[in-house]
Amino acid sequence: MLLEINGLTKYFGGLAAVRDFNMHIDDGELLGLIGPNGAGKTTIFNLITSIYKPTRGKIIFDGNDITGKKSHEIARLGIGRTFQLNPLFSDFTVLQNVSTSFHLHPKSSLLDIYFNTAKYRRNEAYILEQSREILKMVGLDKVENELAKNLPHGYQKMLGIARALAVKPKLLILDEPIAGMNPSEIDFTLDATKKMQQQKITILLVEHNMKILDLCERVVVIDFGQKIAEGLPKDVRENKDVIRAYFGGERVA
Amino acid sequence: MDSRFAIKDRKALLRPGVYVGLAVIVALLPLLFSSPYVLHILILTFIYTIAAVSFRTIVISGQFPLAHAAFMGLGAYLSAMGAKWLGMSPWLTVPLSALVTASIGMLIGYPFSRLRALYYAMGSLFFGIGIIQVIYAGGSWTGGYSGLTGIPALLPGIGSKVPYYYFFLGLALVSIVALYRIEFSRIGTNLKAISQSHVVASSVGISEGGYRILAVGVGCFFVGLAGAGYAHYNMVLSCSSFNFMATLWLVMYVLIGGVNSFGGPIVGTIILIIIPEYFRDLKMYSPFVTAVILGIVVYLMPQGLVGLPRLVRSKLTERRKIKKVSHAS
Repeated sequence: MLLEINGLTKYFGGLAAVRDFNMHIDDGELLGLIGPNGAGKTTIFNLITSIYKPTRGKIIFDGNDITGKKSHEIARLGIGRTFQLNPLFSDFTVLQNVSTSFHLHPKSSLLDIYFNTAKYRRNEAYILEQSREILKMVGLDKVENELAKNLPHGYQKMLGIARALAVKPKLLILDEPIAGMNPSEIDFTLDATKKMQQQKITILLVEHNMKILDLCERVVVIDFGQKIAEGLPKDVRENKDVIRAYFGGERVA
Repeated sequence: MDSRFAIKDRKALLRPGVYVGLAVIVALLPLLFSSPYVLHILILTFIYTIAAVSFRTIVISGQFPLAHAAFMGLGAYLSAMGAKWLGMSPWLTVPLSALVTASIGMLIGYPFSRLRALYYAMGSLFFGIGIIQVIYAGGSWTGGYSGLTGIPALLPGIGSKVPYYYFFLGLALVSIVALYRIEFSRIGTNLKAISQSHVVASSVGISEGGYRILAVGVGCFFVGLAGAGYAHYNMVLSCSSFNFMATLWLVMYVLIGGVNSFGGPIVGTIILIIIPEYFRDLKMYSPFVTAVILGIVVYLMPQGLVGLPRLVRSKLTERRKIKKVSHAS
């Protein structure tokens, strides 16, 4: 088990955004997390990556209790993520976005960096090569010198994924990776996701679009901050509680 | 050059060459101007250049400190007091007080690394005012309101300013090169990354707090160094040289020169210290004139004064292209 969440609860004031939520992710799995708007999906992401601190509950990653750790420490342990509203290093080029994200692998000490030692230069050369490889994988190699803020929306989302991959994550968290993309960009992202799946990267993703959910091995459905269903994508789609959550009331077909 | 700054390689190679050329010209200036007054202004320019460039090092990390002149004063008073009351050599107290200034800056930087934008600016502003108040309250130790006098000189031979000129030229060059290397390395990239998005930066493992504190430490070290050097050059210190207004002037040097490029603060400091000296009789109007200049710079040169050559060049090529197009049609 790579990630285990036990009794996770988060209150914003009196409102419970997430309540007694339990979930686990196995090694190499592609797990989908779905739910209507405002169900608490992004809150769960932000709790895992410690943008928020949980009110109660435990998050165990790879045998370490990561509840309430700092965001950069969580990245260090091997969780990479993208963001729904997709902030980037917008004044950096595409290549710089990725190479900057290689902060951890390999890590140069401050002294090595400052004195421009052979080790630092070797690291940087390696990082440059790896960054280009990742950009090729997500199809951004042709725009590597563009400023990130000048990219079209779909490319920016792919850049977000490229940046998260630079962390060399054991677990990759994708927050609505294909929202706002056009059909060809969606196809592209699906391909990239399949490739990552083949490389045995464990992925947790939030999405509404069934195209990408059908790639998932397992889907967890939440509503009002609580898990209401779990299972194979096709089973979940027929689950009564899920239909009620999405359409309000039982659908009589 | 196999760095990920490959795109900037040509510029990065060109820049040091230009700087070395400029440094040689500056090194020959005392042969042209022997008047102590001119040399004094140039020495002040060197000192404030260090302050302005180190200010910008903190700014690129996304923090806007309004205590920078106060830290300069801290370095100056620490070094002056160490030399005057403890009898230490200024050559020892100058680097030591820069280190102490950096440590104090980092100590304060820790709680401040949680503050952003206006909150950071106001917090640091009041802290800086606090530092100056403490110096005022120091009684005979710091000289209080009447100032500290009888500070041991750094260099022997009272009278000639030429040795000081070369000392501060060297100090400024060393500081500028040191800060340049920080900015154009992975450290500088991380600082800029944090300033663009601290959420993304920490999601890839960059410690926001750590790097912000580092930037403050570096900035305070060099401004402390500049202040300490100033103390043993001027041999008299007055708190009013380091008050809130002095910080605001530093901010002006950086903004008018161009906050987005490394050379900006250098250009800004040179222009805003030297040009007003020609109009010394009008000194009381200088804040007003500076405000107007800032307005003009922001309107016409979004990159600051340092971006002027590039702006002119791009306008010229634009005009040439328009001509070509109209000829063709």
